[in-house]
Amino acid sequence: MNKPLNLLIIDDNEEILVALKDFFSMDNFNVYSAIDGLEALKIIESENIAFDLIITDIVMPNISGVGIISIVKQRWPDVPVIAITGWGEHPEALAAEADADLVIEKPFDLAELKKKVNELLLKKT
Amino acid sequence: MLGPPIIGVSQNITKAKDIINRIADTGLSILISGESGVGKEVIAQNLFQKSFRNKNSFLKINCAALPEGLLESELFGYEQGAFTGAQRKKKGKFELAHKGVLFLDEIGDMSFNLQAKLLHVLQSGEFAPLGSEKDIKSDVWIIAASNQNLEKNIKKGTFREDLYYRLNTINIHIAPLRERPEDIIPIAEYYIKQYAIQFKSGKIIKPGKKIMEQLAEYNWQGNVRELQNVLKRALVMGDWEDVLKSLGEKPSEPGNSGKGESDKYSLLSELMGFDMNDQVELDAFSLKKIRQTAIDRVEKEVIACILDKTGWNRTKATKILEISYKTLLSKISSLDIEPPPSKKLRSKN
Repeated sequence: MNKPLNLLIIDDNEEILVALKDFFSMDNFNVYSAIDGLEALKIIESENIAFDLIITDIVMPNISGVGIISIVKQRWPDVPVIAITGWGEHPEALAAEADADLVIEKPFDLAELKKKVNELLLKKT
Repeated sequence: MLGPPIIGVSQNITKAKDIINRIADTGLSILISGESGVGKEVIAQNLFQKSFRNKNSFLKINCAALPEGLLESELFGYEQGAFTGAQRKKKGKFELAHKGVLFLDEIGDMSFNLQAKLLHVLQSGEFAPLGSEKDIKSDVWIIAASNQNLEKNIKKGTFREDLYYRLNTINIHIAPLRERPEDIIPIAEYYIKQYAIQFKSGKIIKPGKKIMEQLAEYNWQGNVRELQNVLKRALVMGDWEDVLKSLGEKPSEPGNSGKGESDKYSLLSELMGFDMNDQVELDAFSLKKIRQTAIDRVEKEVIACILDKTGWNRTKATKILEISYKTLLSKISSLDIEPPPSKKLRSKN
């Protein structure tokens, strides 16, 4: 079996966070979760983990999804980031501008999300 | 330029410091929110000092202080002859703050028209001074602050949603001082030391423990700014007791002053449902008992007021009050809120 991949999921909606964590944990992923960009940044900086992929919500307190995407792309440009959002066109446009590799609108299909995750991981290797 | 440090031990301030340390070098737009006097500018100055831009300019502009036209020319500058009276070219803050920070205070007061121009600069990194057809490139870190609830302003249609999301990439919220009383003594101690140096007075009487406790218990509606003013006054007058006494005399709520002695306790009597002068009833009093009565009374007034303002348009009222239609109907019924005869609700449930 391949080495598990490190996945970071960021969402201030706890239900979505738990659902995504459970869903990806069933596969070959070490799943880390954070309730906003600030907590995500703490995890990335303190745990010193090389994340293989990040999935983030956009509208969040403290450090927003746009903020965390920009920071990740400044410091770890090779880490693919998927933005998930349901807040109209402005955050989506911003997420794309902040260099998210993919922007997915809520509600989304879990199977579709997993397919996209795998595509991005394949592209990375 | 070195601003004061951020002082506080509360969770709110600890978190703000943590965010600043982690993001000061990212150059991402920041929105600092919080009531007047909490120290939003201090946060902005600290961000600037911790960033790689700290050798360049930190410029501030208060969007509420200037009329639209003047604010526009201050921000973007103008060419000679751009309008009557523009006798020579003037550089705007966006040009002057190049490679530095532009702190936009009270951004909630910026006109819709100027918000569009600001958004354009944030998107493109370029702007054109008034009367110029040439765009100027500007690398400015925008830190905005507001004491208004901008999300509410978006709903009201006075603030652009797209600008809000762009500014709110990072949000630092500073809570009112009354919600973080553990910060009052450290802030007071810091400013007492500062003012002692500033006033160069030999007469400064340091406050004792009891005075400090009184300071920590006061509710500081005016936040850190009010605390600073009180400390200055006490240090100048050299008498803590008098200054603290004047604090105690201040009405705790606006609107209480000027009432005659006779109706001083009318609200209390009404809430408690008994006469304050009746000793038997007074003995049976408990704070818990009046809580629901107080909530009901305030809710009744607020809901009735909003319904009147909306001409009893219940859908509109639910949006303003941020409650469901069902909740509104149940409140109208349980709180006995009477509609004017023409607005009686046709049964809908």
